[in-house]
Amino acid sequence: MARAFRRSAFLVAALTILGAIWWFAVHRPRTPGPGQATATAPVSGGTLVVSVRSEPASYNRHVAPSAAVDAMSQLTQGKLVRINRVTGEVEPWLAERWTASPDGRTFTLTLRKGITFSDGAPFTSADVLFSFEALYDPSVDSVIASGVKVQGKPLQVTAPDAGTVVVTLPAPFAPGIQLLDNVWIFPRHQLQAALSAHTFRDAWGLKTPPGSMAGLGPFVISEHVPGQRITLTRNPRYWRRDAAGTQLPYLDRVVFEIVPTQDAEVLRLEAGSIDVMTQADLRAEDYASLKRLRDQGALNLLDVGVGVDPNVLWFNLAPPRAHRVPPYVARAEFRQAISYAVNRDAIVTSVYLGAAVPVFGPITPGNRVWYSNAVPTTPFDPARARTILASIGLTDRTGDGMLDDPNGSPVRFSIITQRGNVRERTATVIQEQLRQVGITVDVASLDPQSIFQRWSAGDYDSIYFGFQASALDPANNLDFWLSSGSTHVWNPNRTQPATPWEKTIDDLMQRQVAAPTLEERQRLFAEVQKVFAQELPAIYFVAPRIAIATSRRVGGVQPALLEPKVLWNADSLYVTSPSR
Amino acid sequence: MRGQFLRYLLGRAAAAFALVFLVSSGALLLAQLAPGDYASEFGRDPASIAADRHRLGLDRPFAEQYGRWLKRSVTLDLGESFYYRRPVTALVRERAANTALLAVVALLLATALGVPGGILTGSTRGPAVSLVRGTSVALLSVPPLITSLLLLTLAARTGWLPVGGIGNPSPDASWIARLIVSARHLVIPALALALPLAATIERLQSQALREAMNRPSTMAARARGLPRSRIVGRHAWRLSLGPLLAIYGILIGSLFSGSFAVELVTSWPGLGDLMRQALMARDTHLVAGCAAAGALFLAIGVFAADVAHGALDPRVAGSRS
Amino acid sequence: MTIRQRGALVIAITLFAAAGLASWVAPYDPGRQFPDHPFAPPMLPHVIDSSGHLRAPFVYPLHLVDPLERRYEEDRTRRIPLRWFGSSLARVDGSDPWFPIGSDGLGRDVLSRVTLGARLSLGVAAAATALALLLGISVGAAAGYAGGWIDATLMRAADGVLVLPAIYVVLALRGALPLVLTTTQVFVTMVAVLGVVGWPAVARGVRGIFVTERREEYAEAARALGAGPLRIALVHLLPAARGFLGVQLTILVPAFVLAEATISFAGLGFAAPTPSWGAMLQDAASARAASDAPWLLAPAAAIIVTVLVLHMASGRWASGLWTDASLTD
Repeated sequence: MARAFRRSAFLVAALTILGAIWWFAVHRPRTPGPGQATATAPVSGGTLVVSVRSEPASYNRHVAPSAAVDAMSQLTQGKLVRINRVTGEVEPWLAERWTASPDGRTFTLTLRKGITFSDGAPFTSADVLFSFEALYDPSVDSVIASGVKVQGKPLQVTAPDAGTVVVTLPAPFAPGIQLLDNVWIFPRHQLQAALSAHTFRDAWGLKTPPGSMAGLGPFVISEHVPGQRITLTRNPRYWRRDAAGTQLPYLDRVVFEIVPTQDAEVLRLEAGSIDVMTQADLRAEDYASLKRLRDQGALNLLDVGVGVDPNVLWFNLAPPRAHRVPPYVARAEFRQAISYAVNRDAIVTSVYLGAAVPVFGPITPGNRVWYSNAVPTTPFDPARARTILASIGLTDRTGDGMLDDPNGSPVRFSIITQRGNVRERTATVIQEQLRQVGITVDVASLDPQSIFQRWSAGDYDSIYFGFQASALDPANNLDFWLSSGSTHVWNPNRTQPATPWEKTIDDLMQRQVAAPTLEERQRLFAEVQKVFAQELPAIYFVAPRIAIATSRRVGGVQPALLEPKVLWNADSLYVTSPSR
Repeated sequence: MRGQFLRYLLGRAAAAFALVFLVSSGALLLAQLAPGDYASEFGRDPASIAADRHRLGLDRPFAEQYGRWLKRSVTLDLGESFYYRRPVTALVRERAANTALLAVVALLLATALGVPGGILTGSTRGPAVSLVRGTSVALLSVPPLITSLLLLTLAARTGWLPVGGIGNPSPDASWIARLIVSARHLVIPALALALPLAATIERLQSQALREAMNRPSTMAARARGLPRSRIVGRHAWRLSLGPLLAIYGILIGSLFSGSFAVELVTSWPGLGDLMRQALMARDTHLVAGCAAAGALFLAIGVFAADVAHGALDPRVAGSRS
Repeated sequence: MTIRQRGALVIAITLFAAAGLASWVAPYDPGRQFPDHPFAPPMLPHVIDSSGHLRAPFVYPLHLVDPLERRYEEDRTRRIPLRWFGSSLARVDGSDPWFPIGSDGLGRDVLSRVTLGARLSLGVAAAATALALLLGISVGAAAGYAGGWIDATLMRAADGVLVLPAIYVVLALRGALPLVLTTTQVFVTMVAVLGVVGWPAVARGVRGIFVTERREEYAEAARALGAGPLRIALVHLLPAARGFLGVQLTILVPAFVLAEATISFAGLGFAAPTPSWGAMLQDAASARAASDAPWLLAPAAAIIVTVLVLHMASGRWASGLWTDASLTD
């Protein structure tokens, strides 16, 4: 007996000592890394190390929509005009100025002179024409084509001479020239042959030798080690200079390290082996340790504002015959009651650790131009929720504390969400909140492909998921608002609006898109939001506050709310300490 | 004897091929049954999704898709990955090389820790035995995901080791510098893989050795007065190899197929991570390719373990089962 | 029975009792969320209050100072006494929560979730281990004893099962099952999947043992005495595998508890808020438990204790043939 005790004591002591060593090793204060300067003038030279979560499937932006490919395009390609992600202003880019016709449908752009591609070939309007041709070609089936069409029709582009391009919109469209922010200019001299042979989709795939792709962006791809990293080096023929006349970009190299999980990315950031993450949003649970490092002077933490693409709970408003959705789900009152019943502050504190704000519609306060506080909200009011539910016949008939429908069966529906994600945790909080007003919710956590499968088959009650915003202007997101849209998630791809209120929204959006002034557009869109808030086909709960962490040596960061949050102005980023 | 061994070898080779073929076909079939396919994605226009399906051949009936794959596989062309648009064999080969490096190091480490540990706990008593046994149990109870994260956190906080990845030696580095870079990046993933494995090996070795120590032949050696170390090393240990080697084959196979949890967290570009990506994206040809590679490694591993068993265990040597 | 065996038995009985009485031991319902207390640290009972007096065990309520930094403060002006042996083993009255070993990201009590998750997680692991052992012994014994082409076929089948991507099987299975599954349905499906995935390793080992044992003299003797193959296999040869099976038990049980989490990634898991150890550990991995909230790793400690107990309990049983006590412990 004594021997057994001695042995167990030995084991326990050994484990405790190991645990103590571990604890102290992990919580040692860090000595600050290199690059202590905060606000200094930009210096040329150096390497920036960025992490990216997936390997790009191709260098061809038209066939691969991932975040990695988008970041590559931002760094290696150019466009005619650029939307400043922070101010929202349209800036001249490859086009140095433009004029608009009185009806706002035709734009004449003057291209900058003397610009060449990274391989020395001159940039002319023929390249612009070619790029549009590739964008709309059916054999290319570009993933970004739908973002550069008005009412499904392509833009008309002509080139009266080598330095001028005329773009005509097929219908009045308020954002107008902003559409050109989505058009990457490809080198005609390298890709014309592929387009003519209908093999454009295979062009610029991963088998392409890295140095051979010409572009108008600040960097060129110089090395790709499969599965590990992609290295980009400075394009010496980049056209842009900063205000002081220094040739951009400041950086010599940008290295994209492929790091598949966010846990590992954050750890690398803490260790100082990467400078910034491509998908730069911090999770709330990482904040504590990053803040400690910020206080020790090892990192910069930037608060960007309220996010503009919150997660959303939408309901199946057009179930097929094969899947029976509880009838009360179709009632707007039911969805209103849910919105009243959920305490959004509980989600803010427990899932986001306070780094979020309650929201009540798809437009969040982070979208300053389009957010309207005239839109009615549903503050936390469980009593009111119960009253509304009672008004549509859902009361506690059996005395067990849970609500029942007029037939006596319990009020119960399911939410499908994504496993292992903040969405799953939020759905769990929603489940608990609704249980307290008497509604039973089943949470089914699946992987994204399975979720999509059930959604497209209409085989669901409700889904809690999220979509990345690509633009702040709702006119660029008509697929969500119009009943004919593919991301009109509660009832997509209708030829006719299914309900009167959807017809109202359709009409308002069409008018909003063509309205002449911003004030008129904002007024119309506020009306859209009010109808939405009344019917609530989809409920929004919280929007996270976006925070970004970078190493101390990175300067020139202008964090934005749209992806890529840091790399969108890569040509103006610089590092203040020697290269790695 | 030579002819018999050759026949045995050919038989195992044929079985290995059959295994690889069946497993790849099974993977393709399962991929068909799983909900969703590669082209499924939110936010895309249905016409575009349909066009993609058509381009990839996903709208053809399964029998036709499978037939096409079968025809190509005869020439060892396992198709192209939907995502990477590169041949599956090239992708698998690259990643398998990385995983193989990690697997070899992890296996050596696990064996170096587990076998002596098991011999210790199987043949002696004392506080060291409890410590080793307790550590084994602890290692078996913690998921490799957490072990990897713990090690990575330690690396990140202390700066002693690189935080994941496989290393990026500069192109003009000497071979010694390259070796050091590789070694430094191998430490964490190899440890994360080797520790639970060492625990399993230790448990099995310990149990098997204790039983072997009690066999009549070992008792006879003790009765003859041979020193303990000689008994353990010469007599008992070889008898204890049976169950251990039986599992070893499986361990080798699964190590070389890649552990996706460890590779994912430590950003080791290996076969396990490739398989995980392919599974999540429903990249069916790539899944079949990875499954085929896994089957091949398992067949080789099991074969090697069986041969080793036959050579080392005096009871099995001389006859093949 | 030795001291150790007695000790193991006592611990095993205590664990069983705790599992059975889990709902009485746990202070809270496992799904009960306290949104204002995410990642609360363990609240250990005090007996000496701030003025130095000795009192019945009590706790100070926790107040969340900074949610993002997960900083809490004890409110030393109020004492909340613990109530014992009432509706649960130990609990507090009032609206302030008591987290004996801390709370998780949604403000749910970890102790409650660990104790109530024990039933499901250990149940799945135990049943799956039993299934894997049953299948593995059957196949391994048949292969090892029969030899020849039967042996080869069965072992190749085992290899095939090993290499088939289990995640795909689960995905396909999940797609075919209805969306909302009851706990029992999930339990049965998981046990089936884990058992089918786990038997090859057992089969290989048993077969290896049978291959060597069937040539031993006692097996020959039994054959000479006219025993049929089944009798020889079960009565004479199987005991030789007891040691191996005992070790497999201690390897498979924790492996299955952890594998449950991997399966839940493919969609086949216990629906929220039902707790399970594997899923809790998976969530702990992403919450940076190791450095900031170590109490989230409590399920790992629970698994370790379970396996240790299993090991001690099975040790003596597995060593049935031994006679020399000086070589064993």
